[in-house]
Amino acid sequence: MPAPKIESLRFENLTFAYENSPPLFTNLDFDFPMNRLVWLNAESGQGRSSLLQLLGVLQFPESGNFYLNEMKVSDMSFEEFLPYRLKIGYGFDFGGLLNNKTIFENLTLPLMYHKILDAKESAERVNKYLNFMGISKYKDQRPAVVPGGVRKITCMVRALVQHPDVLLLDDPSVGMNEATFLRYFDLIKEIQNEKALQHIFVSSFDKKLMGLLGATEVVVDDGRLYLNDSQEKYAVNT
Amino acid sequence: MIFVFNQIDRWGKSFIGQLEYTARVLLMVYLSVRAAFVDQAQGLRTVFSVVSAQIYFTGFQALPLISVLALASGGVVILQSSSNLSLLGGSEMIGKLLVVIIVRELGPLMTALVVIARSGTAVASEVGNMRANREIEALESMGINPLSYIVFPRVLGGVVSVVCLAFYYVMIALLGGFLITRLIQDMPFTFYYESLANAFAFEDVGLFVLKNIFSGVIIFVVACEQGLSVRRGPWEVPVVTTQAVVNSIIYVVVFNMSVTTIFYLKQLIKLGVI
Repeated sequence: MPAPKIESLRFENLTFAYENSPPLFTNLDFDFPMNRLVWLNAESGQGRSSLLQLLGVLQFPESGNFYLNEMKVSDMSFEEFLPYRLKIGYGFDFGGLLNNKTIFENLTLPLMYHKILDAKESAERVNKYLNFMGISKYKDQRPAVVPGGVRKITCMVRALVQHPDVLLLDDPSVGMNEATFLRYFDLIKEIQNEKALQHIFVSSFDKKLMGLLGATEVVVDDGRLYLNDSQEKYAVNT
Repeated sequence: MIFVFNQIDRWGKSFIGQLEYTARVLLMVYLSVRAAFVDQAQGLRTVFSVVSAQIYFTGFQALPLISVLALASGGVVILQSSSNLSLLGGSEMIGKLLVVIIVRELGPLMTALVVIARSGTAVASEVGNMRANREIEALESMGINPLSYIVFPRVLGGVVSVVCLAFYYVMIALLGGFLITRLIQDMPFTFYYESLANAFAFEDVGLFVLKNIFSGVIIFVVACEQGLSVRRGPWEVPVVTTQAVVNSIIYVVVFNMSVTTIFYLKQLIKLGVI
């Protein structure tokens, strides 16, 4: 049975730290704004990428809870969470492509593996997106032999290829020129017409591009999160 | 006196560390098998493609090296055994001796060492690089369980390869070794064949299969566990690869020795010696 749509993401009393490092977030409460493009803005080392990884359930908090649709994620097994996982797309800031597969195979993998589409439909969708992003000539090559920009675009396209509800993009503008970046967001808008990608979270340094896209700014500062458009203190650490 | 206590502390710490590591390896065996059966999405075709690739790299490509080792060790063992047994007047014992040395002991151990050197290192560095390149994280983000997609097919392919390679080793060692011996000594093939056929027992097959299956599991689970233990970056890959080799050798040797010891204790009990 398909999972219901993702409607809310919330941290409750969440503490997160990497091994042998001081905590990035301590007792953090935050209700993420939904149905919009959210820009996670922070200085280096403040935990922007970690925040996205927590939202993508690629990292787990040391304590506290992450609620998805008001369900405690930590209580779910890999299999129980899988339907929701398929509704979350994650674009890595670097790496993340399978080196023993071609660009085309990297993009069809999630569609084919989970039988979201059959082989023909997967190929049609992937070819359409590759053409849209102008990288189709690299489709039969492996990541190691294509330009860095192509790797980046592939990784970003793979995040949305299965039309998830939530799209998490870690520094998408790094390694992509402005025109390509805006083209990628044109692709997002096209997919949004098919009732997907309602909630987009982007970590980026690029204030200009985020401004162009009209993103809602969430500031990550010293382990706290603030929603900036209302200047309201959105989360309080205890 | 303090020195003695410190030494005991170090031994204790090392022992507990080994126990923890063993528990992690056993847990990975269970979790990868569980994931492979629970994962509804992963089709047999996906598993089969990785298993067949693993058998090709681990099994087929190791045949020349195994052949050389089997011929050399088989030839030496047969030559030494037959000449010494002739001196002692027990030539008909050669079959029994070869089953004990080659089938029960050398076959599983030599095959395991070759597979550790060739494929254990390859798998540990491959999985380590996948971790460093965030490919494992990417699989998780796509809802693909690395334990069923990466670990299980490699372990399955590895086990099949080890069993087949060990069988091939035994065949080459016994037949090739005989041919080498024939160049130096005159030994009738019928005598050699009958001696071997009389020496083989059902329990030899059991012991052979048991040792090789477990060696295969140990080598590939340890390699995957070490590869997946990469946390921070590519510089950890050579370290975990070396550790995979060391740990695999220790576990395989200890396992083989334990099985052999238990087998011979059972034999001695059966004979009423103890």
